[in-house]
Amino acid sequence: MTDVTATVVRLKLSLLRNGLRQSGGRRAAFIASAVVALLFAALQLLGLLALRGHAHADAVAVLGTAVLALGWAVLPLFFPSGDETLDPTRLVMLPLRPRPLVRALLAASLVGIGPLFTLLLLVGCALSVARGAAAYVTAVVAVVLALLVCVALARAVAAANVRLLTSRKGRDLAVLSGLVIAIGAQLVNFGAQRLGSGGLGQLSPAADVLRWLPPASAVGAVHAVSERSYGLAAAQLLLTAAALALLVAVWARSLTRLMTAPDGSTLQAADSGARERASAGGLGRLLPAGRTGTVMERSLRYVWRDPKTKAAWVTSLAIGLIVPVFNALQGTGSIYFACFAAGMLGIQMYNQFGQDTSAFWMVAMTISSSRDAYVELRARALALLVITLPYAALVTVLTAAVLGDWPRLPEALGLSFALLGAMLATGAWTSARFPYSIPQEGYKNVAPGQAGLAWIAIFGGMVSAALLCAPVIALTIWLNVSADGDAFTWLLLPVGAVYGTAVTLLGLRLAAPRTAARLPEILAAVSKG
Amino acid sequence: MVGSAAVCVRGLWKRFGQQVAVAGVDLELPAGKFIGLVGPNGAGKTTTLSMVTGLLRPDQGSVEVVGHDVWRDPVAVKARIGVLPEGLRLFERLSGRELLGYSGRLRGLPGAEVDKRAGQLLDVLDLTGAQHKLVVDYSTGMRKKIGLAAALLHNPEVLFLDEPFEGVDPVSAQTIRGVLERYTASGATVVFSSHVMELVESLCDWVAVMAAGRIRATGPLSEVRGEHTTLQGAFLELVGAQGRDAGSDLDWLGGGAR
Repeated sequence: MTDVTATVVRLKLSLLRNGLRQSGGRRAAFIASAVVALLFAALQLLGLLALRGHAHADAVAVLGTAVLALGWAVLPLFFPSGDETLDPTRLVMLPLRPRPLVRALLAASLVGIGPLFTLLLLVGCALSVARGAAAYVTAVVAVVLALLVCVALARAVAAANVRLLTSRKGRDLAVLSGLVIAIGAQLVNFGAQRLGSGGLGQLSPAADVLRWLPPASAVGAVHAVSERSYGLAAAQLLLTAAALALLVAVWARSLTRLMTAPDGSTLQAADSGARERASAGGLGRLLPAGRTGTVMERSLRYVWRDPKTKAAWVTSLAIGLIVPVFNALQGTGSIYFACFAAGMLGIQMYNQFGQDTSAFWMVAMTISSSRDAYVELRARALALLVITLPYAALVTVLTAAVLGDWPRLPEALGLSFALLGAMLATGAWTSARFPYSIPQEGYKNVAPGQAGLAWIAIFGGMVSAALLCAPVIALTIWLNVSADGDAFTWLLLPVGAVYGTAVTLLGLRLAAPRTAARLPEILAAVSKG
Repeated sequence: MVGSAAVCVRGLWKRFGQQVAVAGVDLELPAGKFIGLVGPNGAGKTTTLSMVTGLLRPDQGSVEVVGHDVWRDPVAVKARIGVLPEGLRLFERLSGRELLGYSGRLRGLPGAEVDKRAGQLLDVLDLTGAQHKLVVDYSTGMRKKIGLAAALLHNPEVLFLDEPFEGVDPVSAQTIRGVLERYTASGATVVFSSHVMELVESLCDWVAVMAAGRIRATGPLSEVRGEHTTLQGAFLELVGAQGRDAGSDLDWLGGGAR
């Protein structure tokens, strides 16, 4: 019985150790993240201890525990491969009974930085509300219970969703999780700002509910003991223990089911047929015939269907909108910020062939001249423009509307178009000259060893794009500072549009022969990782 | 086409850093034959096929396919060959039918013709039921079949297949075989790599044996087989892997007392 526990804990330790042994970079990253996490936890601990005696200390402690538990519940959905001992399908061939297995896995999940971090925070939460010897004794029980609830919660959620997590749809979802975390961070930031202005008292109503919700109820019990409401404390502790028992039971059940039922990861996704067929017909009919339409259709489909491409697009679209419009809303903006949309979306032209991954061979097999390469690149630029052009125009109009700066709308639009053209031109050229591969698994967007290449491509390209725009920027400044230039600023719209188009065509012309001549080198570069 | 060489390779070399993957390959493959390129793992089969099809630039040497230089005359070569590489992806976020439509139109075939051929290929390869499923959700056998369909769509003169039967179930393998046999019967050439000797023996009428980056033997199947009863025997002798007997070290292995 304890044999299994010891073995699994040892397995977890060796997995940790072997993971670190694989590369120096990984070790450095692990140590750095451990130090940062523990420093952060230590600071939180100090902060929570400093809160002792504060009127709303209990609200902070209860809420903190609840947030911690939420993190434990959500994280396994986004980092399914983080812990291999967690994956019951790997243990399916071993002659193990569910009960000792659950005990062993629970023990193993207590090993790691995450649980240590959680322990430190929980200790902080419990100590910030504990007063008197009885409360300290309760705190010990409460911290252990709360930690176990957190870990069991993560395991139960992961086991219940293992079908989803091992399927293709689940892995696609994981790629988008970075966005969820980014947006979540924005919300936390927003909440923190409101708290800063409103005071900790705002937390109390939420805490009154949460102190009955495990595992926050354990911290609630410590507080109750400090207040000498022993009955309340006992109820809260019992509630936590019951929640733990329930979670472990749910987890054990899904484990048993997983280990006795066949693996469904190869059986799913038979249902998506009709929907995809429906979307296919309409799109193809609107596009031009020949290579141009074919490539555009494929590119546009990938924006929606390929998780990496989708994540990149959503990021660009979001930032391209948020920066100009939010700045305008706060009254600190300028209509020229609207060019951000064109710039952010233009980035999508970069590393075009890397976005294909090693499937680029299918493209390479059909390019036998500079002309083919030109049509291919032009079609990709056109696909991009289908989304980018209306979006950039929309963002510019929106920014103008918020600022009420309608007279400057034409020149801002002209600048946007010129910048977009420059980005497309440099994007096409760097796609041919500095291709690099985008790993399809995980969160990295650059394969190991190609980071330098990626930086050269993106930053060199962006600086060049800015330089390429210099004539239009200079013209804008000149018209704005010269005595009666204002009357002619509308000219910047056609000038910017024509300039952008010309620069794009020039960029494509220069990129095409390089692409055609370097097909094997591009394929090798985008097939890494 | 009859009597001329489908593929002519001269002095082909490729190094990756310190490692020599292909060390001076000379090879002449006749047109209209079913040709097997056999060799153990790491023999340089994939590297050779990649260089022959223009997907990898050789350090040295020349490659001609149906009389056209692969590197100097890509227009003539790329229109005449079909390729199914090993270890490279497809555009997997397209459905099987979309992938064929994309591939055929990219090669400049008219849309209606592409759709007609795609429908027939999907039907023959038993993929009609999965034609609207994304390729990313396909099994290994289905991927090989859709890759083969994409390689055949423009009716190439020479077909290069890298490990087309690797990881393929017997039913799919039989389907692939049927299509390839019909294709060569019409006078086209198939060059495929494999390390499964029985398969090569039953399919091919011409064989090239490769080991450690060099060609060890080439010619009609019966010639390469020589006095051996099977290709396996001839192959093991050619690559020098015979007489290695690990039996005596594992005397504890087997049923009975534990």
